[in-house]
Amino acid sequence: MATILKTAENSEVSEQAVRRFEVNYRGIFQKTLAYRITKDLVYVAHSEGKTAFSNGRYSDDPQRNGVPCANFAFFSNELSEEELEAFASAKMDIDRADIVSVLDDTMVKGLEPWGHYGIRPINEKVIPGGTLLVVSKRNPEDLIRFLERKPFSYRLAILPGDASFAGLWYYRDDNTDVRMLGAIAKVAPELINFEKTREYVRKTYKTDEKIRAFQEAYDSVSFTEVTPNQGIEWPYPKPVLPAWNEFEEGIVVKAVPNEFKMGPRGLARNPNYKRGTSKTQRPVVRFDICTKCTLCWYDCPDECFDPTPDGLYDVNYEYCTGCGRCAEVCPVNDCIVMVDELNFSDNNSPWESYKKDPLAYTKMAEEKKGKGRMMPSFVTGKGEKTTEITKEVPFKEAKK
Amino acid sequence: MTTEVTEIEKGKEFGDPKLYNNVHKIDLQEYYSSGHRTCQGCESALVMRDFIKASGPRTVVTGATGCMYVANTSYMTTPWVVPWMHTQLGGGGASAIGMAAGLRALMRKGKIAKEKINVINFSGDLGGGDMGLGGISNALQTDYDLLVIMYDNESAANTDIQATNLTPYGAQTTFTPTGSKERIMQKRWKKNVAPMLAIGHPNCKYVATACATFPPMDYMNKVKKALSIGGPTFIHTLDPCPKGWDYHPRYSGDLGQLAINTGIWPVYEIVRGEVRYTYDMTSKKRTPVREYLEKQGRFSHFKDEDYQFFQETVDEMWEEWEIPGIAPVKGTLKVRK
Amino acid sequence: MATETVLKDKSVWESEELLTGTDAVAQAVRLADVDVFAAYPIRPYTGVMDRLAKFIADGKFDSEYIIADGEHSQFEIAKHASSVGARAFAGSSGTGWLFATEALAATATDRLPVLALVGNRALDDPGAFGVEHNDAMLVRDLGWLIVWASTAQEALDTTLIGYRVAEDPKVRMPCAVAMDGGYLTHSQHMVKVPTKEAVNRFLPPYDLGSRRMHPDNPISIAPQVNEDWGMEIRRQNWEAAKRAVGVIRKAYQEFEEIFHIGYDNPFFEEFMTEDAETIMVGMGTVTSAAKTAVKQMRKKGDKVGYVKLRWFRPFPSEDLRNVLSKAANVGVIDRDFAHGGPDDAGVLFNDIRAAMYRSKTKPPMIDFIAGLAGREISIEDVVEMYHKTEKAEDQENIVNWVRVREGKASKGKIGE
Repeated sequence: MATILKTAENSEVSEQAVRRFEVNYRGIFQKTLAYRITKDLVYVAHSEGKTAFSNGRYSDDPQRNGVPCANFAFFSNELSEEELEAFASAKMDIDRADIVSVLDDTMVKGLEPWGHYGIRPINEKVIPGGTLLVVSKRNPEDLIRFLERKPFSYRLAILPGDASFAGLWYYRDDNTDVRMLGAIAKVAPELINFEKTREYVRKTYKTDEKIRAFQEAYDSVSFTEVTPNQGIEWPYPKPVLPAWNEFEEGIVVKAVPNEFKMGPRGLARNPNYKRGTSKTQRPVVRFDICTKCTLCWYDCPDECFDPTPDGLYDVNYEYCTGCGRCAEVCPVNDCIVMVDELNFSDNNSPWESYKKDPLAYTKMAEEKKGKGRMMPSFVTGKGEKTTEITKEVPFKEAKK
Repeated sequence: MTTEVTEIEKGKEFGDPKLYNNVHKIDLQEYYSSGHRTCQGCESALVMRDFIKASGPRTVVTGATGCMYVANTSYMTTPWVVPWMHTQLGGGGASAIGMAAGLRALMRKGKIAKEKINVINFSGDLGGGDMGLGGISNALQTDYDLLVIMYDNESAANTDIQATNLTPYGAQTTFTPTGSKERIMQKRWKKNVAPMLAIGHPNCKYVATACATFPPMDYMNKVKKALSIGGPTFIHTLDPCPKGWDYHPRYSGDLGQLAINTGIWPVYEIVRGEVRYTYDMTSKKRTPVREYLEKQGRFSHFKDEDYQFFQETVDEMWEEWEIPGIAPVKGTLKVRK
Repeated sequence: MATETVLKDKSVWESEELLTGTDAVAQAVRLADVDVFAAYPIRPYTGVMDRLAKFIADGKFDSEYIIADGEHSQFEIAKHASSVGARAFAGSSGTGWLFATEALAATATDRLPVLALVGNRALDDPGAFGVEHNDAMLVRDLGWLIVWASTAQEALDTTLIGYRVAEDPKVRMPCAVAMDGGYLTHSQHMVKVPTKEAVNRFLPPYDLGSRRMHPDNPISIAPQVNEDWGMEIRRQNWEAAKRAVGVIRKAYQEFEEIFHIGYDNPFFEEFMTEDAETIMVGMGTVTSAAKTAVKQMRKKGDKVGYVKLRWFRPFPSEDLRNVLSKAANVGVIDRDFAHGGPDDAGVLFNDIRAAMYRSKTKPPMIDFIAGLAGREISIEDVVEMYHKTEKAEDQENIVNWVRVREGKASKGKIGE
């Protein structure tokens, strides 16, 4: 009690006593999973006699498929529940975390949960010596090339695995929840103790499979130190919100300009909210075999296909949310294929690079696509089938 | 009773709204543009995109509280090119009356230039089909040129999926979860809104049901007809919702098409009292409803008996109703063939 | 000293007619060239809609007229008509006004200058038609301008002034013109009806400027906000409510210049207050009884005065302080109730007492809950209130129920 009062009197001391955990996930289909993770963390911490609580970023609701969301869990050995809440969670969002975790590695390309938030780096909240924990099959370099350069060192921890889209009403339990616990117990023993967590998993889930998954994750999570010279200069500005007397009264927003011309980015779009960071996959188009049926453009719920003078449809990846409807509706075999977003490092117009050098573009497209073709089940929680294509669709010379 | 859509497409009886008969002729510009907080694969976003494309830039729009309000105007940004304003959850019909009346008065008094400005409100199934039904009814009793579009994703999707009166039988929502005692909590059959409004409102010359993407152009053409036939009109769209129906966003289009091919969602228009099926399932073989239901997580708790009940109810709608999908009257009544 | 109504300039008057309070408002709505009005019946405000409908039928008024399906729709219609640049009118009473509350709140936060007549009526249950001020008062915190008229002439004038203030670019807030149900809504008085020309000189055309919903001005109105924005938007609305004070003064000044009807302080009328030791404050039709009582008591040498409050929102805190701080005792007549509120006193009493907190001299104040559900307040009642107020210091209970039947049986028995 004495220590509590002592720490509570001094914000700096108290800050030392607070541990913050953040889990970044995709709206809806990872919602239940993310909740289970922070919930389990709090239960474990309590079993250790720690003070802990969790909450979700309220502004994420109503959640939308693919839109980045975050849950938090807060821990302290010294502070009371009230004090911890005051120090850790006075805001809707948090500005720093000891552990920032990510359930879908494509989120390392940036987060834009809502308009006027800007596209923000996934490691923005990582503190010096803190940890960025990513569920991914990628090697560290593949991820670091997307991360913002920090003035200090921190750890990149990778838990080998695919992004788990566990679903909503039909929930698929693929053990990602306990695997995350295993990884966290490894990277942050000061948050949850291995033995206590193992005990919790045994009591709660009562299956050897869960305990094995927990142990396997604990053993397989790997670390890399990310030094101040690694990562990139962050390309996106952080918006500055206007003061109350700097914007018009009456809750009025100027409409998107009534502008359109043929060709890439010829359509005026919402400049303050782009949605491109919702993508886990992006559509890759083989313009050479496209029949110009317009269905990709017609079915796109995000208006991101730009009509071009030659009747092909360019893709504006800044606004594409990666839903896959275009690939689904496209009548031509292998013409539009959904490909892992991490295979790409820019949002340039694919149509322009195709026009510049059709053959080179097509080769590049096929490289990015690779041999695997992933087809999701209708019901998300039922997973996806991956098939190997045996022969590529040959490049088709455009008619002169 | 049924008339081929191609006949209607002449559009003469609607004052020649220049209907689409070829996807390549659709206006390439968007008046509802990219950058909205809708779900991946959102069908309702296409309901927005297509109605305003069919209506054009000389339009004013209100959106009742719901997904398409909150998602489309995320925190002081907007994807709208045309004037758009929020209206309260049950305010859809009244907001359309208010705008139409205001514009008519200002034009008549010479306070603004005389021109045709389309007035459109969209309300969801919670706002339009439940709370706002009285207001929409009142709008359809006026003589204003206005269109109310009810985009129906079969739940209060904006509050994270609660049952409405338009949620289909058996579907899981947070208000109708499945449980160990009650497998089925949603015991109400879907409320049939469009016919109710068509039958009860003598001033309303045009009521239609539609699905944004199937049959292609059907929905956009219905919007064009509704806006040009004059007076108050109503369109009810069925919008597959990857969030609440729990399926991969890639398949919204397929599910809309399945809803129609199984006969669960009849697409028709009622023009001055005359019923026309714009995709005629009275003469087509219906796909078993199971093929539609089992593709959605919200029905993942269904057992054979549930599929069977669903199938029987849909069959009855097509085989025993005097006007299939529209008038649940059975017996000796004979409908004009 | 209250100014007498003087008609220097005959040319500004079209006629002098026998009108009820609601008729007078209807005349003002016609003269204001309102573009859209939406009606739904509820006693006692309905008379205004009856009269406007007849104007339409007789071709005396060019406006869109919608019979709504309920008060919620009624005010949504008015709100959205206002958003496209049309001058809009609606109104209601009692529970009807409450049924519209959601729309009323949004109209205020959308900053749309709809004008509404509130014919004050007791709230259900039990159903009652008589006056209580709680209905209009329920929007007192929502960003509505709220003004009480206590004569038919004042009702007509205030409606014109209300539009002028509400539509001012510095304000753009909705305005509720309230009047006592039965007493003012239904009794007939001779009223001077101004000419259209004079009204046009006073009331400029409604112009929403860059906030007008029209294809030539593409905007999005009222997008969903989160914690990053809501606070700044409330702050803007707070500023507008404060700006309204100056706009109201200016409007009354120009109203007097054109019509030569003087309201020396727009916010409240003072009656024999200069040297008054005891001042009572009230709103609405109780004024006639109160002023008469004051005259009678002055004859007997009682130094009493009366303040009739007109503008309840914005609340004239400073002006009231200046007047009331000079008095030895202050009484407030509440035609409303606030169960379980501070000291269980009425709404008006607690607003005034809160304003007086910043006054150097704080005269003792007592509250009178009177005339609920339309019960009469007689001259004798007011005289009695004055006598109690004169001894405000030694009132053991600051809240006094006027003319309520007290019986032995009920005395402190319930719940004991």
